[in-house]
Amino acid sequence: MGLITVSGAPGSRHEEAARLIAQRLGFELVTQIRLDALIGEEFGAGAQIPEKAFPEVITSIIARLASEHHLVVSAEGAELLFKEFPGLLRVHVVAPESRRLGVLMLERRLERPAAKELLRRLEGEQKLYRRRRFGRALMRPEAFDLVCNTEALEPEQVAEVVAAAAQARGVAEQGLLSAAAEAHLQFQVRLRLSRYGIAPLDKLNWRPRAFSHPSEEIFANLLDFYRVAWEYEPRSFPIQWDKEGRVLESFTPDFYLPQFDLYVELTTMKQSLVTKKNRKIKLLRQIYPQINIQVFYQKDFENLIFKYGLSRPAAVRPRRPAAPAEPAGERPPSGEA
Amino acid sequence: MSLPPEPEIERILFTEEEIERRIREVAAEISERYRNRDLKLVAVLKGAVFFFTALARAIRIPVKVDFLSISSFSTRPSAPGVVRIAKDLDESIEGEDVLLVEDIVDTGFTARYLLQTLAARGPNSLAVCTLLDRTSRRIVQVPVEFRCFEIPDRFVVGFGLDYKQLYRNLSFIAVMKPEPTQPIEWRS
Repeated sequence: MGLITVSGAPGSRHEEAARLIAQRLGFELVTQIRLDALIGEEFGAGAQIPEKAFPEVITSIIARLASEHHLVVSAEGAELLFKEFPGLLRVHVVAPESRRLGVLMLERRLERPAAKELLRRLEGEQKLYRRRRFGRALMRPEAFDLVCNTEALEPEQVAEVVAAAAQARGVAEQGLLSAAAEAHLQFQVRLRLSRYGIAPLDKLNWRPRAFSHPSEEIFANLLDFYRVAWEYEPRSFPIQWDKEGRVLESFTPDFYLPQFDLYVELTTMKQSLVTKKNRKIKLLRQIYPQINIQVFYQKDFENLIFKYGLSRPAAVRPRRPAAPAEPAGERPPSGEA
Repeated sequence: MSLPPEPEIERILFTEEEIERRIREVAAEISERYRNRDLKLVAVLKGAVFFFTALARAIRIPVKVDFLSISSFSTRPSAPGVVRIAKDLDESIEGEDVLLVEDIVDTGFTARYLLQTLAARGPNSLAVCTLLDRTSRRIVQVPVEFRCFEIPDRFVVGFGLDYKQLYRNLSFIAVMKPEPTQPIEWRS
């Protein structure tokens, strides 16, 4: 299997680099959020998993996914797993503190002192997370095959370097994880997990990123262009229950933008149906006031289409890896997107 | 002012006089805010150029100027590419007070990318000044310190803003008529 792990300190822009690497190589991206969702799916939402069992839990998930796709994994501690596999490339992204502060200032809209405080807190949380789950708080350089500094390299250049390293190392040439190898690995993992009384539900299925509407693919491409990380329909929110507490109705926003902790719903439907959708969104906001959701209505989307001169997209199809970037040109018509 | 002859234009949103007056007001704010500081105006080509020159001329403190541009979004669904600097700044901005001058900020994607890029170059401060602000379409929050006009969710042209590279040279800002193109296959 081809497996590239990408880690980094808070504010080093390693998540952005991971997404660009995945885009460039046509690998599937597994972020921490995606991994957490898959763990919930496989081991049951709200399952009490002991901290020490997480290496096995993550191994189980990654092994399942790796039997279908080459992967870029941007999740804490992933570089410590699969050490013996030939198709593994472990990337670590670093940046000086001043750069990382600048990133946090912009992303979180903070003044420098507040950003410094946040950076300290995030670094502390990262160390604690690693110590508890992987027994190591620090990330030593020798634990990685490639260390890139985003002081000198933009995330896109990091992606280029990693793509070259992946090619030199023949990462993708290793082939996908065979069914037999996966079964062997899962057996070992299950044996170890049984010590903690954990049994996977075996519900995990890799869902290809097939968009249910062409507008969603256009929007995803736009997010990719602007290097905005996104997850497609990562979470469903129950919004109506019966007397026994069974979920009657759920709402699944189309996109989640982890950098901004923002859900985006594209409502490119007939006006007659918008009222129903608005009711759901209103309910969602009432029940989950902490959720940030932005609704993109048909008119908004038409204007976007108008601005970029996008034609009617082809039929809905599973998402394909992006080709190399276009040559540099002008900005879209009417300036800013 | 009478309706312009261009058939694709629906109505004038801001006249030349309104734009000039508002630019003078914003320029006065900027002059006050950056008094005794080392201000550099950075324009994003091409759309911001018309606003940029008008603004720079109305600012009453010494300023440096520089320009950059970014690559375009590909309309090929399978190959969106990624945004990149197509024309970089000519000089360093380290230690300078940088004001990024935009023609329009709406979803915030471009402004965020540019702020992120410029912030990594060690400026003393970084702020955004925009001619038009379409907050109703904002997806990514960006700090806009100076704005001339907030506009409704309509497609506008003029004073640097274009449609298919046309209409940049209009001295006013106008609303375009909706394009009678093939509709998207909406969800039923």
